[in-house]
Amino acid sequence: MTPLQTTPQKPDAASEIGAAEPIVELSSIALTLESGAGKVNILRGIDLMVAAGERIGVVGPSGSGKSTMMMIAAGLERPSSGLVRIAGQDLAAMDEDDLALFRRDRIGIVFQSFHLVPTMTALENVAVPLEFAGWRDAFEQAAAALEEVGLSHRTTHYPGQLSGGEQQRVALARAVATEPDLLLADEPTGNLDGETGMAVIDLLFAMQERIGATLMLITHDRDLTARCGRVVRMKDGRIIDGGMPP
Amino acid sequence: MNRLALRLARRELRGGLKGFSVFVACLALGVAAIAGVGSVSLAVQRGIAADARPILGGDVEISQRLYPVREDALAWLGQNGRMASTTEMRAMARPPKAEGVGARPVLVELKAVDAAYPLYGTMTLSPAMPLAEALEERGGVFGAAVDSGVLHRLDIALGDRLRIGETEFELRAVIEHEPDRGTSAFSLGPRAMIAAAALPATELVRPGSMVRYNHRVRLAPDADIGALIENLHTAFPDAAWRLRGLSDAALGMRRFLGNIAVYLTLVGLTTLLVGGVGVANAVKSHLDTRTATIATYKCLGAPNGLVFRIYLFQILALALLGTVIGLAIGIAVPFSLSGVLAENLPITAKLAVYPGPVALAAGFGLLTALTFSLWPLGRLRQVPGAALFRDLVAPSARWPAWRDLAATGICALALIALAVATSDDRWLTAVFAIGAAVALALFRAAAALTTFLAKRAGAKPARLAGRPSLRLALANLHRPGAPTSNVIVSLGIGLTVLVAVVLAQASVDGQVRERMPDLAPSFFFVDIQPDQVADFDATVRSVPGIERMERVPALRGRLTRIGGVPTDEAVIDDDVKWVTRSDRGITYAAEQPGNLHLAAGDWWPTDYDGPPLVSFDQRAAEGMGLGIGDSITVNVLGREFEARIANLREIDWSELGINFFFVFAPGTFEAAPQTHIATAYTRDPAVEDALERAVADRFANVSAIRVRDALDAISSSMDKVSLAVRATAGVTLLAGILVLAGAVAAGHRRRVYDAVILKVLGVTRADILKAYLLEYGLLGLATAVIAVALGSAAGWALTTRTMHIPWRFAPEAVTSVALIATVITLFAGFVDTWRALARKPAPLLRNE
Repeated sequence: MTPLQTTPQKPDAASEIGAAEPIVELSSIALTLESGAGKVNILRGIDLMVAAGERIGVVGPSGSGKSTMMMIAAGLERPSSGLVRIAGQDLAAMDEDDLALFRRDRIGIVFQSFHLVPTMTALENVAVPLEFAGWRDAFEQAAAALEEVGLSHRTTHYPGQLSGGEQQRVALARAVATEPDLLLADEPTGNLDGETGMAVIDLLFAMQERIGATLMLITHDRDLTARCGRVVRMKDGRIIDGGMPP
Repeated sequence: MNRLALRLARRELRGGLKGFSVFVACLALGVAAIAGVGSVSLAVQRGIAADARPILGGDVEISQRLYPVREDALAWLGQNGRMASTTEMRAMARPPKAEGVGARPVLVELKAVDAAYPLYGTMTLSPAMPLAEALEERGGVFGAAVDSGVLHRLDIALGDRLRIGETEFELRAVIEHEPDRGTSAFSLGPRAMIAAAALPATELVRPGSMVRYNHRVRLAPDADIGALIENLHTAFPDAAWRLRGLSDAALGMRRFLGNIAVYLTLVGLTTLLVGGVGVANAVKSHLDTRTATIATYKCLGAPNGLVFRIYLFQILALALLGTVIGLAIGIAVPFSLSGVLAENLPITAKLAVYPGPVALAAGFGLLTALTFSLWPLGRLRQVPGAALFRDLVAPSARWPAWRDLAATGICALALIALAVATSDDRWLTAVFAIGAAVALALFRAAAALTTFLAKRAGAKPARLAGRPSLRLALANLHRPGAPTSNVIVSLGIGLTVLVAVVLAQASVDGQVRERMPDLAPSFFFVDIQPDQVADFDATVRSVPGIERMERVPALRGRLTRIGGVPTDEAVIDDDVKWVTRSDRGITYAAEQPGNLHLAAGDWWPTDYDGPPLVSFDQRAAEGMGLGIGDSITVNVLGREFEARIANLREIDWSELGINFFFVFAPGTFEAAPQTHIATAYTRDPAVEDALERAVADRFANVSAIRVRDALDAISSSMDKVSLAVRATAGVTLLAGILVLAGAVAAGHRRRVYDAVILKVLGVTRADILKAYLLEYGLLGLATAVIAVALGSAAGWALTTRTMHIPWRFAPEAVTSVALIATVITLFAGFVDTWRALARKPAPLLRNE
């Protein structure tokens, strides 16, 4: 159990792993799944390095393995082979609960489908990771995070009572509330109209900068990739371009 | 439109019955319970009807206590067919005099029969021989046939002698089957049968002895029994005998079993009520999973009526399935219980498939399904397509349209009407219906209170800082769509029934097994002749260790008029009608006995010498509309005695001391043939044995009834009844568990999703498990607390208002039930959470 604390100090990624060390290191990652029709190779040897503080865009056609790569980086999927090292830690050595704790302290995730708990209010959704991280002021912090995304008037609303853009802003507030080292965003504007999507992206970038996190953004939007420092291109389960920092 | 609805309903059902297993199981369980109880009850009743002649012992019976039936009446009766006479009484059986001094005697139910006995049925003896041969006189000694219990208890064998009263009998046979063996719940001793010709030699029949004379007639097959009974009434209008026809055979047992059937049917209806909650949940869950389909239907232009019918037809089809399964089980119940019934009932149940109870149970099942489905179905009609998608988090508080509300109301009323109309106790069933409605409302209120308290407790998260699992658990209890209310109502009702039954049983146990033995005398001695009383008193007092004895004169008489109106014409409350059905005890006293508490009026002067006065039971007086100064008439030994009520008494029958319905003032019965009845108190079993032997050795005609044995007999009868009641209450609880399982299953998808999101957010499996187990534990605890509170109230009412025995709260029983509730819900929660935690997150998180 994490000791009770008020806004606990998260480890300084740069000081802990060294500025030169990559925060995301995927090496020869392959993922093969069994299906009724036989084996399906989802990822076929991925090599990716992302430096701390970097903002990368991941692009590629549907089925190219973008989301799966992100799941592996988040410790939500285990690869069939290869090395996954996030913030200097080998994820293969961790069990499910270690991975959960690791995510809690180091990783924030934003999904295309928001994935809010439908029976929790906006405030509760944002507060949950803080609560379990042992923050005594979890709800105050959650309220502050919601205020930052412009939803201080929606704290008691349930996801079903919010618009898509609002839901994504709640998800964003939840993802950054613990000030993670790594932000993973899987097509965060995919379910939003252009204008709303852009507002969400502006917020995402602003918050990333404020907390100094590394951002891995999966998107189909060329305008968005233009705002990223590096673009990683994927096709048929492989990275065809941009896998290594320039 | 209906055809289209049917077609679409069939198409949807092709997808399988997933999610409806609880719906079908709930209905099946309730229907099975009702059909089972109804079928067993009818099988027993038909068994009694089929064997009415052997059970009654003839086509018509007249029976009279204390003194023989007048000769002219017997002659009249004998002209109508073949007549058989028996004389029954209690007596002490002992080993022969020479070796029997000091041996422990056995109280037997003595029956002296004539040569014509039995008129119907067969007497089976072991070794096989005709009854006449077993009882005939050989070499100056009559024979006797006895239940095997006599052999064991006196340690004698066939061929040995045994002494009854003042004579000895040769033990020739063991009774295997006696066709007209009493069908009362218990008897005080084993049977001993002798020839009528042998009875005088026993010298047991003395003035005032508790003897019953029975005379049965076998009529010609085409004889009109009703006319004969009518003619007998006309010919002997003032006779004090009890006249019974075939329809009266085993009346007491039929009444007793009928009452049990009413209670068990009510428990069965409770099962359906609980099942109804499960039905409503299942329908709602089903409609929740169909929101997209329903919205699509509506977008494609399907009118509300069509959508309503599509799902109504599905519900009806599933209700039919559940009902048919329930009926199949219910029909099988009597057959599977045939061994138990044969072992525990003195009659043979006539096992068959009876359409009546089957149709009734089917009616209950279908009406329950409709009553509980129409509300969620009706809401469907009211909700606009777009709102269907938001129903989970923003439940539209819309009510069904008035016609759907009316239809729900009509179905509910039809259900109540069917229950009341088909019950043997309509008043009780009507009270039950009201009680059930109140209980439902109370449970809903209690569930709302629980939700409110959970919300209140979690309202200030800072207070729960550091305990996120507890905060999550509390929040889960009041979230939109939380199963709190449904679980509390369904599992709670099942548990309430169980608590009420367990507590009522604990009170009865406390009464019969603890309080009564503590207060009751060790023995009742009956048939003490007036010329024996001084000797008897001295004999009892001479036994060291006897703490106390009481003795009073005893007569028996039947209440025939109330304020001048014959009892069969008087208005008497149902709960005191039993007073008029049979002879009741009468005594007389000059001084007010010490244990007698006057409720109204005054005791007469000790030297009273005026018109007859009587002291009467207060509760019976209330039920008969009688007060001080009113008159009652009792028939004693064929003579009518009218007396004015001088005072009313509160009689506590449960103390088992000497109590009489009628205590007369001096001057009425002193000269009448009578016996005395006595009690003796001791707590030492060795003293009991010594006293029994001392009295038996000296007074052959005095019967000693061991109260402990009688209480054991009552306990054993009660155990059987309570087992049946508990088993049926268990079915209700099972229905509650099914509903709980249904509610958990309905929320499983959401729980899996929540667990995955929590894992994504960095919550460990242990913390998730802890939060969910806390949630279910709190839910179980809340349910248990509410069920214990309501069940205790129901148990108290049942015990003090219906059974009229002192209430005893049994904390250990209640704690067990509360534990059961918590463990059941925790287990359900654990299984659900474990399955949820086992799911891999990635597949659920991929973009749809």
